[in-house]
Amino acid sequence: MRNFLAAAALAAGCLLSGCGSHRLRMNSEQPVTRPDQMVSFESLYGKNCSACHGSSGQGGPALDLNNPVLQQLLDDSSLRRAIQDGVAGTLMPAFGESAGGMLTDAQVDALVKGMRARWATAGTMRTAAQMPPETTTLIGNASHGEQLYQMDCRSCHGGARQQVTDPTYLALVSDPALRTILIAGRPDLGHPDWQTVAQGHAASDQDVTDVVAYLASLRSMTPGQPYAAQPQGEQPTATEAAANQPTTAKRKQSTGQATESFKTEK
Amino acid sequence: MSRMKRVYSWLDHRLQLGKPLLEMAEHPIPNRTASWWYVFGSAAFTLLMLQIVTGILLALVYVPSAGEAWNSLNFLNHQLTLGWFLRAMHGWGSNFMVAVVLIHMAQVFLFGAYKYPRELTWTLGVFLLLMTLGMAFTGQVMRFDQDAYWGLGIGASILSRVPVVGGSLVHMMLGGPIIAGATLSRFFTLHVFVIPGLMLAFTFLHVWMVLKLGINEWPMPGRVVRRSTYMAEYHELTEKDGRSFVPGGVWKDAVFSAAIIAAVAVCAVVFGPFGPGGQPDPTIIQTVPKPDFFFLWLYAVLSYLPPNLETPFLLIAPVLGIAALLGLPFYASEGEKSWHRRPIAILALTTIAVSWGVLTHLGTYTPWSPHMDAWSGGPAIPARFLRTASPVEREGAVVFQAKQCRNCHSIGGYGGQRGPALDDVATRLTGDQLIRQVLQGGGNMPAYGKNLSPAEVTALVSFLQTLHPANEPSAADAAQSVTGH
Repeated sequence: MRNFLAAAALAAGCLLSGCGSHRLRMNSEQPVTRPDQMVSFESLYGKNCSACHGSSGQGGPALDLNNPVLQQLLDDSSLRRAIQDGVAGTLMPAFGESAGGMLTDAQVDALVKGMRARWATAGTMRTAAQMPPETTTLIGNASHGEQLYQMDCRSCHGGARQQVTDPTYLALVSDPALRTILIAGRPDLGHPDWQTVAQGHAASDQDVTDVVAYLASLRSMTPGQPYAAQPQGEQPTATEAAANQPTTAKRKQSTGQATESFKTEK
Repeated sequence: MSRMKRVYSWLDHRLQLGKPLLEMAEHPIPNRTASWWYVFGSAAFTLLMLQIVTGILLALVYVPSAGEAWNSLNFLNHQLTLGWFLRAMHGWGSNFMVAVVLIHMAQVFLFGAYKYPRELTWTLGVFLLLMTLGMAFTGQVMRFDQDAYWGLGIGASILSRVPVVGGSLVHMMLGGPIIAGATLSRFFTLHVFVIPGLMLAFTFLHVWMVLKLGINEWPMPGRVVRRSTYMAEYHELTEKDGRSFVPGGVWKDAVFSAAIIAAVAVCAVVFGPFGPGGQPDPTIIQTVPKPDFFFLWLYAVLSYLPPNLETPFLLIAPVLGIAALLGLPFYASEGEKSWHRRPIAILALTTIAVSWGVLTHLGTYTPWSPHMDAWSGGPAIPARFLRTASPVEREGAVVFQAKQCRNCHSIGGYGGQRGPALDDVATRLTGDQLIRQVLQGGGNMPAYGKNLSPAEVTALVSFLQTLHPANEPSAADAAQSVTGH
């Protein structure tokens, strides 16, 4: 009987304490908000962005947003435009209601503000003033770009796995997007930014523009050929080299001069 | 003492209730029937009382108008002291009542208690079950949130399939062409006046017959029910091997009913009230409405039926089911009661229970529904799939997300379950097979050839080709090793 009473007292205690805590929780919880009224960054980001850009803004397949250099490079209006209307020439879709998406202007603002608050660390940039701007009016020199590419990029991108000269890749990434990656880097993948990408000096606006022009010159009219792109580690056969020819020809056309060294090395 | 007695006899002289009530309390029951198996009917009755009491209290605050219902429930949940508990008791009471009524029915069926002379008791019981389900559905509408809104939409679309008069039936059910204030008023009337009133009347008759005809005796193999001899046999049994209902059998009913109420209270405290979910606004399309658990099986059935069978199933199956339940005691009013001698009955009950369980389980996680947020929200593709990815493969992973492949195909345990999980797809399909599958579709998958550019397909497939365990090679075309291509 004593045991029974003790058990009953324990059960009643649990019930009462559970009851109390639950009531507190119920009172603090807000009623369900309409999806278009929701302006909490966590839920907006978690519902719309995290699958591609990573839950903490990095480590996802798409561009890492948790990158102070990127946050410095893009101003509010271009960040907002990217969310609202998507980024042409890339796989970033439009999320704004005006472009057929689900997010209201207030929600896009909340996303921009939230990213700034979390991932932009103002004042840590050594030479922020010299950072190449997001867009440029300079004309790219593809042959100079190729030289820079050979010098500064090939050490990593020349390997079998990290080819960015693959026309399939270039077909999915626009020139401005290439420029963004060149300047802001991808710290989550170990890709350096504009300050450290070149040996000995920070990359200038002209350098970045030239490399982008070079990569742009490698674009193919018919990207995504499943059989032309032999895995890079293997020796291409004669037919495959011929199949790659139009790309090279196009590059010659647009750059005006072909670099023999690159061709032979390849 | 004597004054109390005088008041009692004054009242009883006029009411004439004392003797019949005493008779009811003392009516004999077979000794073996005073068993824990016979407590579900009284528990259902207790739950009905609980629902009435909590329902009346809720009606003091609830506003049955389309504009205010949702707000008044949130007021109950968040502002009123213990309002959430009241709602939780009513909601969980409803779930328990559906469950207890179903168990009661299964037990009655298993014990052959519907046989002569208790056919009408069973028939009324079938109506009581239907009314309990009706209360559950109309109660879900009272919540007037997204689930209620779309639940009504589904109810209306089922009704609209009735030939010829479907449109008028929908109009009658919704109180107009659309789900609006009139709809809620109608369902409030049904939930608060019409069905409970009928239920009380039916329950009274149901209990009356149980008391007058006596509770079913414990079924024994070989003790066969015959119309001519049953009543005499039953009376002989209760006289020889019986006891009076009070206190012989009632204490088990009381203990079980109390335990059920306690269980309802515990669930109410631990799990809290049901909803209300999002606003009932048809312009909000970011919603995954789901029915309450006792209708989930229907949700699963409809998802798996071929489209051309939906109307026959929805319109004919319920009629047949109810007809079978109503006809049962008239078809099998005599004969064996024991489950040892009724294999078909046992098989039927088991089949129904297992199918119901399986379909309900499927309904809870809806493997047929695309996961509409998975392309943009939720966790990214796990890092282990991307650690060594080349730029093209990484772009392929972006294509995988941006083109919403993940809404149907899970990867890293997250995503839709409509298509196969793709964590190790490269061990099943070669690159060429993947390209063909993406371009032309097949199985249940639509063709994406017109929606993806060649570069997107190539990037996507190059990503998919990396999806194999490290210790298992990816699938390869055997001819490639011969031709070198």
